[in-house]
Amino acid sequence: MHHHRRAQFHEQVNSWHHVWSEAVLSFVLALLLLVAPVSAAQMRLQDRSLYIQSSEPSVSTSYTVSFRYMSPEPVGSVNMLFCVDPIPYHECVTPPGLDVSGATLADQSGESGFTILSKSTNRIVLTRTTGPITSPMSSYKFDNIINPSNTDLSFSIRLRTHATPNATGAQIDFGSVKGQVTDGITLETQVPPMLIFCLAEEVADNCASTNETFYKDMGTLEPNATLSAQSQMAVGTNATGGFAITASGIPPSAGTNVIAPLVSATESRPGSNQFGINLVANNAPAVGIDPQGIWANAIASSDYSVPNKYKYVSGDVVAYSPNVSLMKKFTVSYILNTSEDLKGGVYSTTITYIASGRF
Amino acid sequence: MKRFQSILVAAFVLLAATVYLLPVSSASAQSSASLSIVPRKNYTIEPGKSVKDTLTIRNLDAERPLELQLRVVDFTFDDDGGTPKLMIAEDAPQTTWSLKPYLTVPKSVTIAPKSSKTLDIGVSMPANRGAGSLYSAIMYSSGAPDGGNVGLSATGVTLVFATIPGAVDQNLTLTKFGAYNAPREGSKGEYVYATTQMPRTIGFTLKNDGNVTESPVGSITLKHMFGEETVINDINPNKSLALIGQERTFAACIKLQSQDVNFNGSASQTKACAEPSLLPGLYTATLDMYYGQNGNNTQELTKTAHFWYLPLWFIIISVIVLLLIAYFVWRIVSKVRGYSHRKAQPKRSTRRR
Repeated sequence: MHHHRRAQFHEQVNSWHHVWSEAVLSFVLALLLLVAPVSAAQMRLQDRSLYIQSSEPSVSTSYTVSFRYMSPEPVGSVNMLFCVDPIPYHECVTPPGLDVSGATLADQSGESGFTILSKSTNRIVLTRTTGPITSPMSSYKFDNIINPSNTDLSFSIRLRTHATPNATGAQIDFGSVKGQVTDGITLETQVPPMLIFCLAEEVADNCASTNETFYKDMGTLEPNATLSAQSQMAVGTNATGGFAITASGIPPSAGTNVIAPLVSATESRPGSNQFGINLVANNAPAVGIDPQGIWANAIASSDYSVPNKYKYVSGDVVAYSPNVSLMKKFTVSYILNTSEDLKGGVYSTTITYIASGRF
Repeated sequence: MKRFQSILVAAFVLLAATVYLLPVSSASAQSSASLSIVPRKNYTIEPGKSVKDTLTIRNLDAERPLELQLRVVDFTFDDDGGTPKLMIAEDAPQTTWSLKPYLTVPKSVTIAPKSSKTLDIGVSMPANRGAGSLYSAIMYSSGAPDGGNVGLSATGVTLVFATIPGAVDQNLTLTKFGAYNAPREGSKGEYVYATTQMPRTIGFTLKNDGNVTESPVGSITLKHMFGEETVINDINPNKSLALIGQERTFAACIKLQSQDVNFNGSASQTKACAEPSLLPGLYTATLDMYYGQNGNNTQELTKTAHFWYLPLWFIIISVIVLLLIAYFVWRIVSKVRGYSHRKAQPKRSTRRR
């Protein structure tokens, strides 16, 4: 009796399983049908590009905007919003100097039949009778657009397509294109970028004067004594990329004999052949001064900023700033140690400090 | 005889004068080592066309003339930063992106103390040159001194970039993205996934496999685990470049602070990272980045990353709170056990009776 009831129960549950799986499947299919058009309406326009005929700032020129429509939905309008930032959901800041209020639609290919419905300083709305997409890859050329004046800033056109003829209602596809004007000569025209650099045994903070000494006699090499010296350099730039100072040159040598440079930051060890530099104050030996100047973003490189540790690799960057830096003074400390078996001679070197901009 | 004597005297005087003057002329031959130059030039040149421009160099020294030798060298990247690696060896091979063959500069220049000079330079692009980026550097070297164990020589460098418009190969790959500790004095830059220090920058590393330098734009959205959002509107405020072949790390300040400064008499603006006000916890960062050259497709890259910001004070408070909770739980459990124990004991004694 008991066994019979259990079999009946199993049979019933089994049939419910079928019903459940069918119901779930139908539900999922219904969801897909409902959701699919919604997700299609949020596709990104592909192969987006902007060609600016003349990239001179503030000139009247033509822009060609190209993109591929992705959704099969009928389109009645295209909204083009000119902003500094390409992100569609960010506040739109009009690129300084840009003006599209006099733009004319000079040419169109692909999806065509558009005219300009409205235009303002930073917005153009193209309109047509709402129709299906038959030639997705399309191009629109506008004349009489006045370029932005600021060559430092790139700008974007935020694109949106709509089913309505007046760019209202839900968007179908979206995407941004990036552009930038240059004056053909330099990107930084507002304030002439400059890099100021000076070098000597002693220099003024602003490079206005030096002590006019460009070499240092370190004395007589002895196996148990460390010879030391120091020089100074001041540097500053108003270039947005900052500066870098590279040290280059062979280590001290006499004929074919070379005092080995320290290839990693190492302490001074009298009695062994060592040549190294750093850009901070040390007490072993007592030489050097920490970088001087309030500008915190101009720094000595990590390997050359550890007190009492010295290094010299020709071509290394010894100091840099990642952006604009007012004048900063660096004091370079030099140490020379020699072993007893070092061959006699006058050991000398010329270190070239190369100040450059960054990219 | 008298004539011979006068010739001898004249020769002696000439020799003495030469000996006396030689060290002076040698000393005055040492050039100034204080200069002001243009750090970067940027050109857009169509194939078959040329650009003429000027370079202004200033000698800041009040006493000595600035004597410079000019030469064009190639450069590449040093690491994932923006420092150029100059290829200064005379026999350095020419790079595929070299501007050297097309760039003309004077060989030398002498500038009087406390004055400046403007030099003519030109870039001529051959008609068959394909689209892409070319770049080299102009080096201005002062002479090397004589004497001493350590001599000093100053050199300035102008980086020169040229873009040849047309259909270029743009190919950036996003290799890393997340909270980033920018390089500081004594430490190198690194990505962090959990940090006790408040992160100031969000970094992203791009590998440039195209034939053109790229300067990305876009935004980063930071979302705290409890929903608070911070948006970084400009991910590349210094308009830094990823060079050809370079894996370049860009560090975007979570809070960017601009400051107007006076640099050598000119108004300028500097941008630096300020201390953001982040709550401790888990953060989700979303990058939405665009790049592309004029007339070429605008490319878009997106990526999401997570990181924990757990300051020490937060860890200590969390541990104390956890210990307190554990203590109270233990007290409650002990009390419950004691109560059960006391309740159970009289029953057993009743049974014994």
